[in-house]
Amino acid sequence: MKRLGIAEALREAIAEEMERDPRVFCIGEDIGVPGGWGGAFTVTLGLEQSFPGRMIDTPIAELGFFGVAIGAALMGMRPIADVQYGDFLLLAGDQIINNAAKMRYMSGGRVKVPLVIRAPIGATGRGSQHAQSLERFFTGVPGLKVVAPSNAYDAKGLLKAAVRDDNPVLIFEHKLLYGSRGARAESGATDATSDIPDTDYTVPLDRAAVRREGSRVTILAWLLMLHHSLAAAGSLAAQGISAEVLDVRSLSPLDYETIGASVRKTGRVVIVEEGPKTGGVGAELAAGITERFGQALLAPVVRVASPDIPVPFSPALENAYRPSVLRIVEAAARLA
Amino acid sequence: MPDLAATGSDIRLVRWLARPGEEVKRGQPLLEVETDKAVSTVESSIAGMLTEISISPGALVSAGQVIALFEVAAAMPAPSLELGQPNAPSPLPSAGALQDVALSAAVPAPPAPILDRSFLLSLFEHMVLIRQFEERVKFLFLEGVMPGTIHQCQGQEATAVGVCAALQEGDWITSTFRGHGHALAKGLTPQELLDELFGARTGCCRGKGGSMHVGNPDKGMLPAIAIVAGGIPLAAGMALAFRMQKTSQVVACFFGDGAVAEGAFHEGINLAALWKLPAIFVCENNLYGASTHISKVMRNTRIADRAASYGFRGETVDGNDVLAVYDAARRAAADGRAGRGPVLLELLTYRRTGHSRRDPCHYQPKEERETWLSRDPIQRFAARLQERGDVSAADLEAVNTRVQARIEEAVAKARLAPQPALSDLETDVLA
Repeated sequence: MKRLGIAEALREAIAEEMERDPRVFCIGEDIGVPGGWGGAFTVTLGLEQSFPGRMIDTPIAELGFFGVAIGAALMGMRPIADVQYGDFLLLAGDQIINNAAKMRYMSGGRVKVPLVIRAPIGATGRGSQHAQSLERFFTGVPGLKVVAPSNAYDAKGLLKAAVRDDNPVLIFEHKLLYGSRGARAESGATDATSDIPDTDYTVPLDRAAVRREGSRVTILAWLLMLHHSLAAAGSLAAQGISAEVLDVRSLSPLDYETIGASVRKTGRVVIVEEGPKTGGVGAELAAGITERFGQALLAPVVRVASPDIPVPFSPALENAYRPSVLRIVEAAARLA
Repeated sequence: MPDLAATGSDIRLVRWLARPGEEVKRGQPLLEVETDKAVSTVESSIAGMLTEISISPGALVSAGQVIALFEVAAAMPAPSLELGQPNAPSPLPSAGALQDVALSAAVPAPPAPILDRSFLLSLFEHMVLIRQFEERVKFLFLEGVMPGTIHQCQGQEATAVGVCAALQEGDWITSTFRGHGHALAKGLTPQELLDELFGARTGCCRGKGGSMHVGNPDKGMLPAIAIVAGGIPLAAGMALAFRMQKTSQVVACFFGDGAVAEGAFHEGINLAALWKLPAIFVCENNLYGASTHISKVMRNTRIADRAASYGFRGETVDGNDVLAVYDAARRAAADGRAGRGPVLLELLTYRRTGHSRRDPCHYQPKEERETWLSRDPIQRFAARLQERGDVSAADLEAVNTRVQARIEEAVAKARLAPQPALSDLETDVLA
């Protein structure tokens, strides 16, 4: 057992999977440059020494190298492709959405695309184009699985499960949760370290997790917002309101079994999402919960999200943009 | 030393026909050799200055042995094709001297194989199969019995057949929305294609792909990619897998001239060039992206030139000459297998039909159209075959008849092929 941050846990997962399976390789920008960074957030730091020829540094060409990763996956390799910032996934959108996600269906089930995509997201003092919450653009794409780990244990287990899955799996990681150190440390970072077992494990790609049990209101969140929601639940408890907090974790498919059990118990739902309210994952969750468990709801579903604006730069504005612990507390308290 | 297919006998050098310091043309007689059968002349497969001769008259030589060194210009400009003389007869290929239309070879070409009668007839039959398939499909659409839309390739048969004939078992292709010809050339049957076009469960993609996504991984063809240039980075990745798996496979990636303006083209070929991947980028330049002429979308309309700017070899080839295409693809495949990296083949051809189902093609000028129609790849190849002496008009007619019967049989079955069950709707999304 050891205590690791998300960046270290992901690094360990990648190394173990590459050790286990010679078909696994990494492809991306600045991921294996000796003396370099190990990707934008140190996740692959030093791996080029252990896996020569399998940490493939690319030109700045997301459309191109995502196509390369998908082509290699179709021919039996198991690539892990990453972008430095999730925003750059949009450059590779054609390859991910039109090729990776559809190739199996178009072939009548005759081919498969075992591809892992890693993408850092979240508003972190970088203005509008290195900050978006990109989940919404990919959760509605049939043929893709989308997960978002909020702690190091899940990060390692989900990445390993993704590598072993025969489908394209997109892992969204939050910049403030990496626990990156040294020059790549993020100001305002939140502790997402976990105790990591010494033995091999995976975390299923289709399960939510109950992080705090409660009876009066269910708070659904993922990534950084999960941590804010847990803090909010602490405040709510002090006010005598028992909040259950679920880490949605699997954004596609959504785990309505776990979510439904909680909704039936509390009858009240607050969905917390970093990213604009309109058209977000929260909108899908709200609709899905209402369709499935509408009879159990004691009040309409409430969303706490960012306003419908690009991510601002000024720290004062950025902090006002992102849902805060206080906003979550207020929304849940009104509902409960 | 090219392979003379000398049935194992010794080959002895009689004399050199060129001297060190001499500029030698491709196809120029280079040396005289003696086998147990005859004394014969070996033509140069390389154009350049002969700098050194490494064997002397009387010595025994074997295929593949280095016998001379040349200094070769890095990138010789390819001669432009004479479109004004569409039916200019070309010499038929013989062992060791396959005719090249346009070359800028920086490396020695692999020895040309012997093109025997059955191989040539098979090229012809595949081209006829594609033409008749497309014509039949056109009428099925006119009948109103076939769903969806179609993008047809009448007039472009030589590109698909020439390239696929140069591939080996285990090699792959990627294709586009205009992919029926590629599929037939890669060995998919008219039946599995027609069934797919009818949306049947028995189609090559079980009715889930349709005309724009035909493919069959068992035959080395991914479902065709209908996003322009979308297959180019993908092919680079397939080639990367072959490299990492240490196989000798290559991938041929088909796309049209329209793809050249896409970012995916530039990113994909740059990566393949950078890592010297075994990919053949096959641009079927039919002069039009949908209805827009190539001159309206690029300043430099010689597409093969793009390769040089990314540091690899490009070649413009008469895409309506199946043997020229075959030879260029064969050399490109050999480059890939030998680790020399990708090749960009620009195959000049012409679409006889509209871009898609309802396009009457009014934007093709009459004169341009007539010039190209007179260079029809099937008619030209039929004429060349008959010059051989061992292929008669009756032989070719027999091919036509056989193909027609095969297609009619497939059409009859496809009309009755079972549609997918509704329970198939949501299957095959995830593995």
